[in-house]
Parts: sequence; C-alpha cells; structure tokens
Amino acid sequence: MKIKDIIFKSWIYISGIIVVVVTFGVFLYFLYKGIKVVTLEFILEAPGGMPLGTEGGVFPAIMGSLMSGLLSGLIGGLLGLCTSIYLVFYCNNKKNQKYMLHALQLLAGIPSVIIGLFGYTVLIVGLGLNKSLISVTLTLTVMIIPFIALRMKKALEETSKDQFICSLSLGIPKGYTIIHLVIPNALKYIMTSLGLGIVFAMGATAPIMFTGAVIIAGVPNKLTDPIMALPYHLYVLVNEGISIEMAYGTAFVLIVLVLLINLICHFIGNFEDV
Amino acid sequence: MKEIVLKTEDLCVSYGQKKILKKINTLFEKNKITAIIGPSGCGKSTFLKSLNRTVEEYGGNMEGKIHLNNVNIMDMPLQNLRKSVGMVFQLPIVFPFSIYNNMIYAPKYFGEKKEKLNDIVIKNLKKTGLYDEVKDNLKMMATKLSGGQQQRLAIARCLTVNPEIILLDEPCSALDIKNTANIENMLLELKNEYTIIIVTHNLSQAKRIADNVIFMDEGQIIEEGNQNEMFDNPVNVRTKEYLMYMRN
Ligand SMILES: Nc1ncnc2c1ncn2[C@@H]1O[C@H](COP(=O)(O)OP(=O)(O)OP(=O)(O)O)[C@@H](O)[C@H]1O
Ligand SMILES: [Mg+2]
Repeated sequence: MKIKDIIFKSWIYISGIIVVVVTFGVFLYFLYKGIKVVTLEFILEAPGGMPLGTEGGVFPAIMGSLMSGLLSGLIGGLLGLCTSIYLVFYCNNKKNQKYMLHALQLLAGIPSVIIGLFGYTVLIVGLGLNKSLISVTLTLTVMIIPFIALRMKKALEETSKDQFICSLSLGIPKGYTIIHLVIPNALKYIMTSLGLGIVFAMGATAPIMFTGAVIIAGVPNKLTDPIMALPYHLYVLVNEGISIEMAYGTAFVLIVLVLLINLICHFIGNFEDV
Repeated sequence: MKEIVLKTEDLCVSYGQKKILKKINTLFEKNKITAIIGPSGCGKSTFLKSLNRTVEEYGGNMEGKIHLNNVNIMDMPLQNLRKSVGMVFQLPIVFPFSIYNNMIYAPKYFGEKKEKLNDIVIKNLKKTGLYDEVKDNLKMMATKLSGGQQQRLAIARCLTVNPEIILLDEPCSALDIKNTANIENMLLELKNEYTIIIVTHNLSQAKRIADNVIFMDEGQIIEEGNQNEMFDNPVNVRTKEYLMYMRN
C-alpha cells in the first residue's frame, strides 16, 4: 500500500517535471540559438542573399503566417463556435448529434497533409484559384474547424448547459441566452480554443505547401497573392541546406509569435476578471 | 371553494421510445403548496419539467393537455408560459454575474424600465429573506454566496418575472438543516402570493410545508390528496408501503 503510494506519487512528480523541463528546454534552446540571429532587421526585412535566405530576414513570412493564421482562426472560430452551439443547445435529436460528432472527430483525425491535398484538389485544380492566401486560409480553416468545435463543445457543456436551461425557464429565448449568458460565460474557454486553433493553423506546414506558400513572396496585398509562411520558410531553409542559423532564427520568431497569440487570447478571455 | 390554476389531462411524456409519464390527470390548487413524492426514477422531475415545457429542452416529447387558468399551455406563447410558471432547480443555479445582474437579467430582457429595476431587485430579494444579508454587496459575484444563499437567489430571480406558479425540484437536497428551514419558512410565506409545486424526497419536509401531496410511481399518480389524509390514512397499498419504507 505504502510502496504503491510512493511509486504512484513519484511517477506523477516525474511526469510533471519531464513536461516542464521539455517545454522550457525546447523554448530556451531556440531562444539561445535564435537570439544571435534575431535582430530588428531579421524581423523587418525580406529574405535576401544567394541562395535566397542566407541573408536578410523573414518579414513577409511573419505577415503571411499571421494573416493566414488569423483569417482562418476568424472563419474557423466562428464556424466552430456555431457548430458547437448547435450541437450543445439546438440539436435535440440524439442521432443527428452523434453523426455530427463522429464526422467532426473523423475530420479532426485526418492527417494535415491529406487536408492539404484536398485543398489543392478542390481550390486550385477544381475551382481554378491560384496558389494564394485565400487557398491557404480556406484549407487551414477546414483543418481547424473540428479542432475548435470539439474543444468549444466541451467547454459549453461544462460551463453552461444547466444555466442555459435555467435561463429558458425564465421565458428568455435561446438566442438571447446564448449571446448574453452562454458566450460571456464561456468566453475564457472560447478564446483559449480559438488561440490554440490559430496556433495550430500557423504551425501547419503540409496543408500550405500545396495551396499557396511559396519560397519567396512579398507581403500579400490581396487575397489572391501567394504568401510566404514561417513554417514553410523554415522547412526550405533546413531542407535545402541554405542556412541552419537562419532556421533557428525563424523557429524562434515562430515560437514567440505563437506564444504571443496564446497570451493575447488568454487576456481577452479573462478580460472581465481583471 | 377550491380555485384551480393548473390542470393536466392525460399527460404523457416520453424520451424517444421510452415512456416516462403515463396519462397523468391531476389538479393544482391556487395558493397552495403541493408536494410530489415518489421513488427515485418514477418521473417526478419529468412531470415538473413538463409543466412549463422545459422537458422539451431535454429532448422529451409531450402529449395530452395541460391547462393554465383554462388555457392549454400548448397554445400559449412559450415565453408567456415560462414567465407564468417559474422553475427552481435541484442544485442552485446562479449566473456568473453579480447578485444585482442576476436579478435584473430577466426583467431587462422583458424591457422593464431602468428606474424600476432597483425596486424589482429589492422587492424580490426581500421576499426570499436574502436582502438583509446582501444589501451592501449587491455588486458581489453571485457565485461567492453560500449554497443556501445561492438557492434563495435562484428563487428570487425566478420571482422577478412575476410568475403565478413556482416549480421547485428538490430545492433543499444540497442544503443543510438551517438553510432548509430557511427555505421552507420562505415557501410558507410565498404561498400567499404564489402557487407552489415542489418535488421532495424528504417526507418530513412534505409534512411540514405541503397542503396537498401527490404520490407517483412508475410514471403514474398512485394517490393524491390532502396532506393529513395522505400521510395518516393512505388508501393505496403502494402508498402505504412507500410511506412505511421512507419512515424507516
Ligand atoms: N434527458 C433524458 N433522456 C432520457 N431519459 C431520461 C432523461 N431524463 C430522465 N430520463 C429518464 O426518465 C425517468 C424519470 O426520470 P426523473 O428524473 O423524472 O425521475 P425522478 O422521479 O425525478 O427521480 P429522482 O427522484 O431520482 O430525481 C428515469 O428513468 C430517467 O432515466
Ligand atoms: Mg428528480
């Protein structure tokens, strides 16, 4: 009994320590490696040099990643939120609910490279769009909808189902209840899910390779421009053996960006508590 | 002369294929407390929830008729029905706002004038005896109240839309003796103004507060009547057995 207890406890502590050490380890490693490369110019300039990427910076890639990430977060977040609200509060038919849930889980389990291929087939080949910001955004949106919807569904169920019915029992309609009670109540979880969704989109490489990320491009002016993206740039830098130093720098920028977005979402979610 | 506010006619409720309530016919008297008792799973909560059609929000399907002041509730706008027939749940449900905002949540939706909101809050908090306890802290988060206070807030909030009938589903089962006594006394006060229907597992509670009692089993009403008669001289064998069982 005692021994079991000790083993169990130490196992918990060790797992906790491993998680913390690995997280900080990765972060500090890239911080250490990247900080030498990351200067103001690195952030604000386009890649240059021969071969391309050995000099200059990653500005267009930052903008490309931000734009595609935020846009798909916006569309996917809205669609995901609506899906989860439908599932939790409007779908009284248990069977339909089950089918939709299975569909979402299936979609969430599809490897991202396949989502990329799907985006390429439908958007580029089928609809004749060029490789562009919009194709990337739509592909990423498809990828993150189930991711966001499933998380939000869980949050809504946990925070608001009873309160929702309580509000209805006061004679207040569903729509008003959702806007004035459910969403403010679950805002924290909604924002965290959204943040994770955006980060997931910004980190994805496979889906954007086929649909719009290119080796060199400017900051996109319109939706139909091709983009640079940090993960793809990173991939090219390493894969073509262009510059491992610059790759560390790029990785560092990506990590910081992702961290910032998570923090911002967290702050918006906790706005009322402040 | 009894005045009847609510009457059910062959009320049946089912969840999918599962029939829960089978032909419930009964009356509820105005300004009385009616207690619904019966073994777990017999359909008490389902019955209560069907009286303001919240059962439909859980996926239940209702058949038969329910008359509220001689109007079939199926023909009433849902909003009016639910304003007239308020509901309090087993676990206290407070919205994650301040006490004040909990109280004005519904009146605000129904377009009460700003000047009147304060009065509504104070009047209804007083009815539940909560006002003196929280009058200096109306801006406090309602979730910081104790369990008993939260339940009284839930009742007060239900009163803000001026219901005629209040449905309570085991409102004291999560509370201690003192808070339970508090709520019981309050209900005895409230019945002068409202009609109260309460589900309870606690026979002595039914004895303390109820005028009428309905005993249910397996989705049907087995016996109903005046509290004293029911508890002292039950007619039906099943009622007798249940009362015996609960007393031991
Ligand atoms: N949402 C639901 N979907 C399907 N079946 C349900 C649902 N809610 C309740 N039931 C079933 O209906 C029956 C009656 O439940 P109900 O909650 O009305 O019983 P109860 O008398 O209130 O019991 P308790 O005293 O335990 O609260 C139970 O068999 C229960 O499993
Ligand atoms: Mg019940």
